[in-house]
Amino acid sequence: MVDYFAIGLTHALLALAAWRLVMSPALDRDPETENSLGPDKPDV
Amino acid sequence: MFDLALTLFVIGFLALGFRRPFLWVLAYLYVDILAPQKISWFLLASIPLSLIVFCLAFGGWLLADDKRDSRLNYRQVLIAVLLVYCGVTTLSADFPVEAAAKWAWVWKALVFALFLPLTLRTRLRLESAALTMVLAAGAIIIDGGIKACFGGGGYGELKFFVNDNTGLYEGSTLSMVAIAMIPLIWWLVNHGTVFPKSWLVKLFALALTFACVMIPIGTQTRTGLLCLGLLGVLSLRNIRHKTLYLGLAGVAAMIAVPLLPKSYTDRMGTIENHQADESASTRVAVWKWTLEYVKDNPFGGGFEAYRSNKIKIETRAASTDGNTTAVAVTEVLDQSRAYHSSYFEMLGEQGWAGLGIWLWLQVTGLWQMERLRGRWRKKARAAGAGPDVQWQASLATALQSAQLVYLTGSLFVGIAYQPFIFMLIGLQCALWSYLRRIDQPKPDTIGARLALKALPAT
Repeated sequence: MVDYFAIGLTHALLALAAWRLVMSPALDRDPETENSLGPDKPDV
Repeated sequence: MFDLALTLFVIGFLALGFRRPFLWVLAYLYVDILAPQKISWFLLASIPLSLIVFCLAFGGWLLADDKRDSRLNYRQVLIAVLLVYCGVTTLSADFPVEAAAKWAWVWKALVFALFLPLTLRTRLRLESAALTMVLAAGAIIIDGGIKACFGGGGYGELKFFVNDNTGLYEGSTLSMVAIAMIPLIWWLVNHGTVFPKSWLVKLFALALTFACVMIPIGTQTRTGLLCLGLLGVLSLRNIRHKTLYLGLAGVAAMIAVPLLPKSYTDRMGTIENHQADESASTRVAVWKWTLEYVKDNPFGGGFEAYRSNKIKIETRAASTDGNTTAVAVTEVLDQSRAYHSSYFEMLGEQGWAGLGIWLWLQVTGLWQMERLRGRWRKKARAAGAGPDVQWQASLATALQSAQLVYLTGSLFVGIAYQPFIFMLIGLQCALWSYLRRIDQPKPDTIGARLALKALPAT
């Protein structure tokens, strides 16, 4: 039971985090460095 | 059902990687820390999950990621040197079969530590890597913490999902990692953007921190207690109300000690009186043996070189009856005892040169984090400093504290190549490179330089 709780709770949080990360443009493009590096390359 | 849910989670995580390949890097962190293929007994256990995820992570970065911001830190070069050096000593190891078995996982940890900083090129990526590490290790820690609360502990007796005593599922290693992780948990609470600060996040962090503290108690490892003590002292550096903190810590200790099981306090007592403890005496004897061994083998004996040791241990136990104290000396013969210290593990297996590279890697980490801490604390305290300059010094401090806890735990546990710690080193390298980049905004990336070279001469 404890095993299921520990796995369930952390995996629910991991899944939510993964979903939020996929939706966030800041994951691949950092607003801090965006301006310093000139125009972006086209996405591969 | 449980097996199916775990498998679906892994498949879902990997599927998200097709949209953002960086998710595969996080998936590797998760798989390497938690080893879901060991928890699963059918679906995940039947495929080479770790290898598949590593190939996805590396392939995703190679083919689909922007590499203009990827930089090679000189500490990554040190890891590469250590990797090659360990490879060479494995070829001429004293125990080739056993050495090859250790090499099989060590090289993966080192290669991933080399690779990880190349992918962590945005702030959110740094945060997400730290978050994944905390939650993946958190699964084991929450499980162990709750069981320890309900009295399921004991030295070598606390049961986790996996009972094979490897990786983080080994008591002393988990104790050290649990304590080292606490500063990172609180950095995520205070500066995280994936789960922004709220009462729910704070509540989870508090409960997770409590579970972390319960791990050394549940596993009854002396290393964990030392690590916890060190973290308490290190926290003094960053706490504003130091007297209040010391007072609360004292009260907490006074409340906690009577609640601890007797077996725990008895075992912790042997830290002071190590001569009566065979386990501690064995360590000292193995360390003396190692020092003798490297006199003849200055380049070490390769992985698992300790297997050739034969040691004689004397344990002394004093018993007092009235005015008379009798010292009972017991002599025990033993062989093939492990190093029980990362420093001696490096020395015995890789010789003075290997120990030197490893120490260099560790010390430069502490120094780099100290420099970042100093520089960004100034920026954070400058007039008009915004919220965007508040997280850097805190992360450097958290990574430095985690490493100091590891280096203390390493005194008594042979975890020189612990993958979790090499991931922390990877985070340090990435933070150093990232902050240097945003501090000096110049187009000096590998990609930009290559692009300049590729331009035709005019």
